[in-house]
Amino acid sequence: MSGVAFAYSRAADVADAVARGGAPGAAFVAGGTDLLQLWKAGRATPTELIDVYGLGLDGIGVDGDELSIGATARLSDVARHPFVVDQHPLIAEAVLASASGQIRNMATVGGNLLQRTRCPYFRTAGMACNKHRPGSGCGALDGEDRHAALFGAGSSCVATHPSDLAVALVALDATVEVSGARGVRRVGLSELYRLPGERPDVDTTLAAGELITRVLVPRAASIGRLATYVKVRDRASFEFALLSVAAVIRIDAGTIVHARLVCGGVAPAPWRLPAGEALLIGQKPERGVFTVAAAAAVEGAPPLPGNSFKVELLRRALVRTLTTIATGS
Amino acid sequence: MSNDVADGAAAVDGAVLRTVLVNGIAASFEAPPATVLTEVLREELGLTGTKVGCSAGDCGACTVMIDRAAVCACMVPVGRLAGTSITTVEGLTGDELGERLQASFLRHAAAQCGFCTPGVLMAARALLGTNRQPTRQQVMDGLGGVLCRCTGYQAIIAAVLDVDAADPVTVRPTSGKAVGASIERVDGRVKVAGTDVFGDDDAPDDALVIHVIRSPFARAAFTFCDLESFVSENDGITAVLTARDVPGVNRFGVIAPLADQPVFAEHETRFAGEAVAAVVVLPGFDFSSIEFPVVWAALNPLTSPALALHPAAELVHTDRPANVLVEGFVQTGDVDAVMPSCAAVASAEFDSPFVEHAYIEPEAGWAEVIDGLVVIHVTTQSAYMDRASMAEILGVAEHRVRIVPTAVGGGFGGKLDLSVQPFLALAALRTGQPVRITYSRAESMASTTKRHPSKLSVSIGADSNGRVTAMSFEGVFDTGAYASWGPTVANRVPIHASGPYFIPNYRAHSTAVHTNGPPSGAFRGFGVPQAAIAQETLFDELAGRLGIDRLEFRILNALTAGQRTVTGHVLEGGVGIRDCLEALRGPWADALTRAQSLNRANDRRHRSGIGVAGIWYGCGNTSLSNPSTIKVGVRSDGSVVLHQGAIDIGQGSNTVISQIVADAIGIEVHRVLLRSADTSITPDAGKTSASRQTYVSGMAAYLAGVSLRAKLLAMLDASFDSEFVFDAGVLRCHSDGVARSVDLRRLPVDADGFVVVAVESYDPPTTALDHNGQGTPYAVFGYGAQLIELSVDTATGRVQLHRVVAAYDVGKAINPQLVVGQIEGGIAQGIGLALLEEYLPGRTNNLHDYLIPTIGDVPPIETIIVETHDPVGPYGAKGVGEHSLIPTAPAILNAIHHACGIRIRSVPATPTKVLAAILKRGAA
Repeated sequence: MSGVAFAYSRAADVADAVARGGAPGAAFVAGGTDLLQLWKAGRATPTELIDVYGLGLDGIGVDGDELSIGATARLSDVARHPFVVDQHPLIAEAVLASASGQIRNMATVGGNLLQRTRCPYFRTAGMACNKHRPGSGCGALDGEDRHAALFGAGSSCVATHPSDLAVALVALDATVEVSGARGVRRVGLSELYRLPGERPDVDTTLAAGELITRVLVPRAASIGRLATYVKVRDRASFEFALLSVAAVIRIDAGTIVHARLVCGGVAPAPWRLPAGEALLIGQKPERGVFTVAAAAAVEGAPPLPGNSFKVELLRRALVRTLTTIATGS
Repeated sequence: MSNDVADGAAAVDGAVLRTVLVNGIAASFEAPPATVLTEVLREELGLTGTKVGCSAGDCGACTVMIDRAAVCACMVPVGRLAGTSITTVEGLTGDELGERLQASFLRHAAAQCGFCTPGVLMAARALLGTNRQPTRQQVMDGLGGVLCRCTGYQAIIAAVLDVDAADPVTVRPTSGKAVGASIERVDGRVKVAGTDVFGDDDAPDDALVIHVIRSPFARAAFTFCDLESFVSENDGITAVLTARDVPGVNRFGVIAPLADQPVFAEHETRFAGEAVAAVVVLPGFDFSSIEFPVVWAALNPLTSPALALHPAAELVHTDRPANVLVEGFVQTGDVDAVMPSCAAVASAEFDSPFVEHAYIEPEAGWAEVIDGLVVIHVTTQSAYMDRASMAEILGVAEHRVRIVPTAVGGGFGGKLDLSVQPFLALAALRTGQPVRITYSRAESMASTTKRHPSKLSVSIGADSNGRVTAMSFEGVFDTGAYASWGPTVANRVPIHASGPYFIPNYRAHSTAVHTNGPPSGAFRGFGVPQAAIAQETLFDELAGRLGIDRLEFRILNALTAGQRTVTGHVLEGGVGIRDCLEALRGPWADALTRAQSLNRANDRRHRSGIGVAGIWYGCGNTSLSNPSTIKVGVRSDGSVVLHQGAIDIGQGSNTVISQIVADAIGIEVHRVLLRSADTSITPDAGKTSASRQTYVSGMAAYLAGVSLRAKLLAMLDASFDSEFVFDAGVLRCHSDGVARSVDLRRLPVDADGFVVVAVESYDPPTTALDHNGQGTPYAVFGYGAQLIELSVDTATGRVQLHRVVAAYDVGKAINPQLVVGQIEGGIAQGIGLALLEEYLPGRTNNLHDYLIPTIGDVPPIETIIVETHDPVGPYGAKGVGEHSLIPTAPAILNAIHHACGIRIRSVPATPTKVLAAILKRGAA
């Protein structure tokens, strides 16, 4: 054990979890694969852990016109669920590109969406990090910044969001259902995340004690649409993305009528590229079109000295992802 | 408020009684809910088969099954376990499929050091539980979360695919036939059972626990506050140790005259991670929230050799002017006269970073004092050197220290230096109680040695016929804060930088420069891998300019017996580089055709390429005595016991030395009982480094075996070529038609229990090098060459390896399967050096930022064993451990160039660098 001791209890139900989760020092835990790592490194210091793993929030199924994935569904179960594989293969692709088999057997969907950045300055004890302690400085700005963000960062924090799944889910217009003291609400996954600004320590728009209970993906997001997930990393497996792209397009009568371009590893949240999407709409699915859209998508990305390669890498990854979709290979 | 009755919903630190189902048996223990499963299994239930390599879910060594699904036990809090069923490696015994897996792992030599093996086995068992006949790709996906640093994964994949072998063959050579046979590792069964005892596996329950206080800064001054009150005011703290508590010399080093590293820094720390104090606490005491009373003042560090060599730079060690530790130099012929007249000259600068050994077992051990003897059980590559250093530190005679090496979970050079040993000994002496310590992954990576970063400036010239005629080499190596093996690197590199080629005009100079980086030390190849990157990629450039096939260019220049090496050494025989390169001719032609046809067929984005590189490597210490002694004896019951101190760190010396001694004696190898390294039992067989054990300890074993045979036959009054048998306690033979026997039970027994014993030593014949580096630095060189096929995704810069063919001259393969294992494992580490690994001090002290190859990063490897008989080694054998790593990186870089025309001269060739080079080339 390396972290400070904490109290631990299992929540009786969602209401119990929500009632207790807002207390200072309280944290929800499900798979625990991220929280335990941060706790061992001394970068998370919960005083009370409320276990929501056993609340039965792990169902995967159809709810009306939506795919419903319970927040505590394990990643491995999501990736092999027949409905996911059949109807929303993009989700399975992204999940299988994540972590290792052992971790996917423990980690949950909700935890995956809420995992903290992999920025080493955040995760290493003793390093200056505004996300860990606001006002302490940002080690990555002056340090090794190959992994730093291209978009949405600020002078306080250049960390990126590490989830593969979140990138795919944003491309599928997913929403999350959240339970809190004031009841249940739904929020678009894109709106779940916030940019660092003056509070880089706060990653999401969740209020204290709010608990994600499930993720909902509109059926229409996948039906009749073409999608794929491309992840670029140094190592063949078991590594977070240098950057990744999830692209979804729908072609009607030879013309692109719907487009989502979302990238990971380049921003504090899954990052949509609306300028690129707009240039795809109404066009034929051809390489020339993809090249133009990809160039527009990355335009204006302000790199740091060490991560400027990411701009061109992202442009190329976008072209490649779109080409892969269009050619079906 | 919800209270889960089964888990007791404990308050903070509330240790409640829990019951879990482990391997089908209900086990009870007390623990607070945050305790992770690894700790429960290992410390509460005594199931130490489950290993801890990182405690962060990064390495998978702790993989167990919970309800048949593989998970990392280090990430599972026990509060989570009620109602589950846990299976550990111990639970494979009695499980039909589990036992089949273990048997297959033994047949395929899929366990080397054995530390990751339990995790690999459990991941494989979970896979087979859901997919009884997986494909190769499915095996790779299923095992992708377990890191192995030894095997290169190929044997593991083969073992899982072969789990249902219908008619498995057990190799049991008859007497005199062990050498050359791929017998099962003699220590293999405990490794697949998870019962081998590693550094953290057998400390007594009541052992006190040591925590080391380390500098968070690359350079810092520090002062302690009131240490006495710190101890007296904390009930769980037994003692604090600092430099003042070192009774002997507060200094150690592997090269005695240059010993410079303190056990505890005295006034100033010289690298981030350097120890200043150690705290000894009661078992179970939670030290994580204790603030140690030290005040740091960060000082300006020297972070690179460029800064350290600046005339105004402060000195890391005041007695080492200009921050230079040592220089190495080799010169022959007249480079300056010949280079200008060369038909083609290739010149370039190269650099490489710190590289971490990343053995999966962190440093660990325990110690106790018995009747004034300090007994240290520790994971180490060098028991006798450890003992000598510890005697100095403790200020006692060597016989007052006993080093008992545990099984070693990988070393690769990183466990040659002292790590936990001084803390253990000092704490045991201070407290009079057993003490233990296990480094965390972060502590291991921050405080132990690294591969030297290098900056090389190299020129090579050839004549118009393609003969290399001149080479100049200037290398600066960042040797970090302390000497460690820096001198060895500086001396070895100039001798080896020519590669295995005849170069008549040659000048190589190297400098080891101190900085405030971690101490750079020994790492598989001692600087030669860095030098080979320069030489072998420049050879490709020369071949290209001269229009000569790259493989043929190497064959043309390959060193042959009778030619002078760059040190003026004329090797009379056993020079197998040409044989190795020629063995690649067929695979090379095939690979070239394959690459060309792929490039015609592919979209322009994926470009295929092939590369080749050759190496040589001297076995044993450079121009220094490095003897090994082996003892083998017969007990009165006719059993033969081998005392072999060549520490087996996974490479297989326990097995290889047994094979050699068995054949030398003339008995079945399965009759040889093994006593592994222990300074109170086995004679000194030197350190496990420099690819010396098969050769040097192997020669000692051969001589000891022959000597024992001679003694036995003399007792029988039989000729040396007679056959004999042990018939219980009676030695019998038929010689010249006469039945002869000796009753061993009537003979006097010595202190080891032997009635007949032989002890022999061997020291390689070498000579000192003169001021121009001329002489005989090694008695034996090994040779090899590797061919790599790969493709580059030019859109992303990602390199995908497809195939490796390795041809190695090992003189004689004592155990061919173990030779293949060394080659495959070395190649995997070479892949890491080429494509992935860069250690940044303070930044990458874990296995998720520091990336070593996973099972998916290593392509299929085909090994061609070349046996060019060596006149010096045992049965003609020589080493291969380090040789295997060296050519991989340059061969990969050459293949990248072949694929897409870019020259990467700064490893690792990450997508970041490859893409930048592609863009630069496109722009040019």
